[in-house]
Amino acid sequence: MFKLNFKIALRNLWKNKGFSLINIGGLAIGLASCMILLIYVAYEWSYDKQSTNHDKTYIVYQNSVANGKTFSWAWTPNVMANEVQEKITGVKYASHSTYPSGKLITVGDKKISSKAIFADLNFVKIFNYKFIKGNPQQVLKDANTIILTKSFAEKLFGNEDPINKTIKLENQDILKVSAVIDDVPANNSIIFDCLMPWALFEKREAWIREGNWGNNMCLTVVQLKENAFFAKANAEMLGIYKRNQKGNTAEAFLHPLTKWHLYGDFENGKSVGGKIDQLRIFLLLAFCILLIACVNFMNLSTARSEGRAKEVGVRKAIGSSRKSLISQFLLESVLLTFISTVLAFILVEISLPYFNNLLNIKLEIDYSNINFWIGLLILMTFTGFISGSYPALYLSSFEPIKVLKGFRVKTDSSVSVRKVLVVGQFVFAACLIICTAIIYQQLNYVKNKPIGYNKSNLVQIAVQGKMADQVKLALLKSKLLKSGAVSDVTFFSQDITEHGNNTTDVSWQGKNAGESILFNNGGIGSDFIKTIGTELVAGREFLTNSANDTNSVMLNEAAVKMMRLENPVGAKIRFWGNERVNVGVIKDFVVESVYQKVAPMIFFPSSTWGAAAVIVRINPNQNISSSLETVDELVKEIEPNYPVNRKFVDESFEVKFQDEKLLGTLSNWFGGFAIFISCLGLLGLALFMAEQRKKEISIRKVLGASTGNILTLLNKDFIKLVAIANIIAFPVAYIIINQWLSTFEYRVSISFLPFALAIVISILIAILTVSIQSIKVAKANPIDALKYE
Amino acid sequence: MIELKNIEKYYANKGVKSYILRHVTTSIKQGEFVSIMGPSGAGKSTLLNILGMLEEPTYGEYHFMGEDVTAMKERQRIELYRNHIGFVFQAYHLIDEMTVAENIEAPLLYKKIPGAERKSRIADILDRFNMVAKKDLFPNQLSGGQQQLVGIARALVAQPSIILADEPTGNLQSAQAEQIMDLFKKLNQEENITILQVTHSEKNAQYGNRILTIEDGVIKEDVTVK
Repeated sequence: MFKLNFKIALRNLWKNKGFSLINIGGLAIGLASCMILLIYVAYEWSYDKQSTNHDKTYIVYQNSVANGKTFSWAWTPNVMANEVQEKITGVKYASHSTYPSGKLITVGDKKISSKAIFADLNFVKIFNYKFIKGNPQQVLKDANTIILTKSFAEKLFGNEDPINKTIKLENQDILKVSAVIDDVPANNSIIFDCLMPWALFEKREAWIREGNWGNNMCLTVVQLKENAFFAKANAEMLGIYKRNQKGNTAEAFLHPLTKWHLYGDFENGKSVGGKIDQLRIFLLLAFCILLIACVNFMNLSTARSEGRAKEVGVRKAIGSSRKSLISQFLLESVLLTFISTVLAFILVEISLPYFNNLLNIKLEIDYSNINFWIGLLILMTFTGFISGSYPALYLSSFEPIKVLKGFRVKTDSSVSVRKVLVVGQFVFAACLIICTAIIYQQLNYVKNKPIGYNKSNLVQIAVQGKMADQVKLALLKSKLLKSGAVSDVTFFSQDITEHGNNTTDVSWQGKNAGESILFNNGGIGSDFIKTIGTELVAGREFLTNSANDTNSVMLNEAAVKMMRLENPVGAKIRFWGNERVNVGVIKDFVVESVYQKVAPMIFFPSSTWGAAAVIVRINPNQNISSSLETVDELVKEIEPNYPVNRKFVDESFEVKFQDEKLLGTLSNWFGGFAIFISCLGLLGLALFMAEQRKKEISIRKVLGASTGNILTLLNKDFIKLVAIANIIAFPVAYIIINQWLSTFEYRVSISFLPFALAIVISILIAILTVSIQSIKVAKANPIDALKYE
Repeated sequence: MIELKNIEKYYANKGVKSYILRHVTTSIKQGEFVSIMGPSGAGKSTLLNILGMLEEPTYGEYHFMGEDVTAMKERQRIELYRNHIGFVFQAYHLIDEMTVAENIEAPLLYKKIPGAERKSRIADILDRFNMVAKKDLFPNQLSGGQQQLVGIARALVAQPSIILADEPTGNLQSAQAEQIMDLFKKLNQEENITILQVTHSEKNAQYGNRILTIEDGVIKEDVTVK
């Protein structure tokens, strides 16, 4: 029986090739979209969950209040770890480590800039890295040792055994390789190429040797013996700053490692979600697309009922029970789902590289993972049964006598069910159109919003090695200018597209007692304003010979406003312990988030604390690539030991839009798919309606209706359905998108344009789809239809 | 074998009952070959469908082999029906997606007959109907008469005790019709299968041994043919 039904199902598929193609194609696209989204969600979900005791591991956060706001950071003092290890209840390990930073590693003449972490032995124990070579108990003890990851070791030493070989760090320290560990999976918050002892860090940077509870400079990770200790330990953490340093108002708390990535947003010191919100959107999107594909399947299958009715009648007349018919139709839908799944796999494998590129991550299907197969099986069964259930119940309900005598199948109820389904599909599609349009508007708005400086042709070169020397920097500047490759050069104490340092330790005349304002601060070189293309609002820039300016600072407009300075130029400001004079005001420009107002900022001459970046404007009158080559050569002349680390500012600036761009692109793609699948559903309904109304149409034609009349008649109903769907979608989309927009300080106002767009697009698509079928019916010879009545 | 007592069938439409069958009382014995005749709309097919358990009477008693059909549950009815009744339709009603052999096999599958026996029975019946060469063809590759032969083969393969035929030759040319009617007669005489056919044709009715004439839902005549 199974075999025969299986054969019949295949023959049916083959006989109605067009139908099968629409059906399988729609389902495959739906499944593929769903699978990609689910793989992405699974990838993000499994962040930081690879180590054995990840559920007992916590990150130490601190809450500190500034500008009346609570800021939560995972930055802690270097003495935190020891204190926690000794005094907090239930702690198994507490470790301090740096965040990964770029360090130059040299082996022979191989120079590779790598991501390095300085950490203690507890760090390795907490994260339980898998050692390939070397003794896990003995690593990180001797200051001059290093642990490499597998791929980094291969990069450095090829196939040779790296153990006990030496490498050179930043051209200063000779380190012996003590162990090799497995690569850290890409979905980890802490990713590195090599691990070095904390002792080495202390040796290199004298200032961290002394414990200071006021200096939050490292990451502290804690592992508890049992999670039962969490409440007590967390309560004890709260006052740890106060207990160790009088007057320190910061409070510490433990944030689970497993929530580090997904729950990264804090408000008033409490976790308020983060990336998890985006993940929820994607999960919902995945589910909705699959549902749309299933609905589509139902529509198409029931639309074909006319063709299957006779078979049902005959089967019942020769002794089939309803149950066996239901199982036959379910078998067919499961078979279709299976074929679609195979197709979906091909689609996923083809499109994954594209998505990886787009999202800048490494998604892949792990075929050896049992969970993957279980998930797939559940997904397939779910899809097969959801999409097959209604057609199976509907088709098997036919009464044999009626269908065999050629009575029209009673369709009122099933048509209205299908109408509801189609409306549902289009509500979703219209919502997606509206949301995507507004996301794009918002993205464009923010991208085109003036950022306060001109970022085109602006190039940043990281200061490395010998370049840090003031004299060498000045030499580089004059050489660069002389070459003609660049038109302007300046220095900055940080990457201009990234968060820099900030402080609340600023006072001035007129500051209210207890007022705390968080100032960004950055060191700037001469010609800063000219180079980046911003404006000087008042006063003057720092002098080229900045030795005379060591006690001068400059402010941005936001700072002047916050400080309520009436005469900013010449105002006395106490900053980092010294009385300084403000010499000028710079127009606000964006260094942090483009979505937020520019924060107050204090500038000081970069010569005081050194520059981290050389910013140059490429000469627009010259060939860009040859100019870049010249720049590289000149930098190499100054510091030959480091590869030149140079990037375009507008490229690094793009990173700020990554989350929104991701959301925009994904909703665009999957919105497109959803609309496409919905159209297939509509086509199915149109096919069915045309079949149903064949006789009516023929009679109308005999009575003198033109093709145009018939087309209007057939399309009218569908336009009505799509219009209803749009009307339902408008408020839904408005609520969703309004909520999304409300998280941005700078946002577009919601205009009626996206809504108009949605209704026009959806109706246009609907008409086009339906017309494919209705034109055929409208043009058919009425005699053919009437003959058989 | 079949006992009908006061069978009635009507459809109520806005309170008005339109009768299809009224007070039909008759009995059919094992081995009879009965033809039901009458004008269009007289209720012949409805009567046949009720006998074949595809429709339920609105009122009345129907005993099939001593069992009360109207009181049965659907499951029991399907069971009884699978084992004893074979249906032959005017429009053949073969399943287009199945080959000749598969069409014949279908009722055996529903009866859950084991594979080996299914094969031998199909081979047997194909042989008997001279259709071995056509067993892998699809219905649309056959002529109308051949399709109806398959239809009869399908009804016979389950070894029913009664065959119900609704104008089995209605769509056929006269030569083919004759062939089918001869086959029915042979089945009736040689294998003692009860046959009940609805027909418009006087000539076809003469093949049987009893003619029931129905007019306006009522049995008008019940004559035995010599």
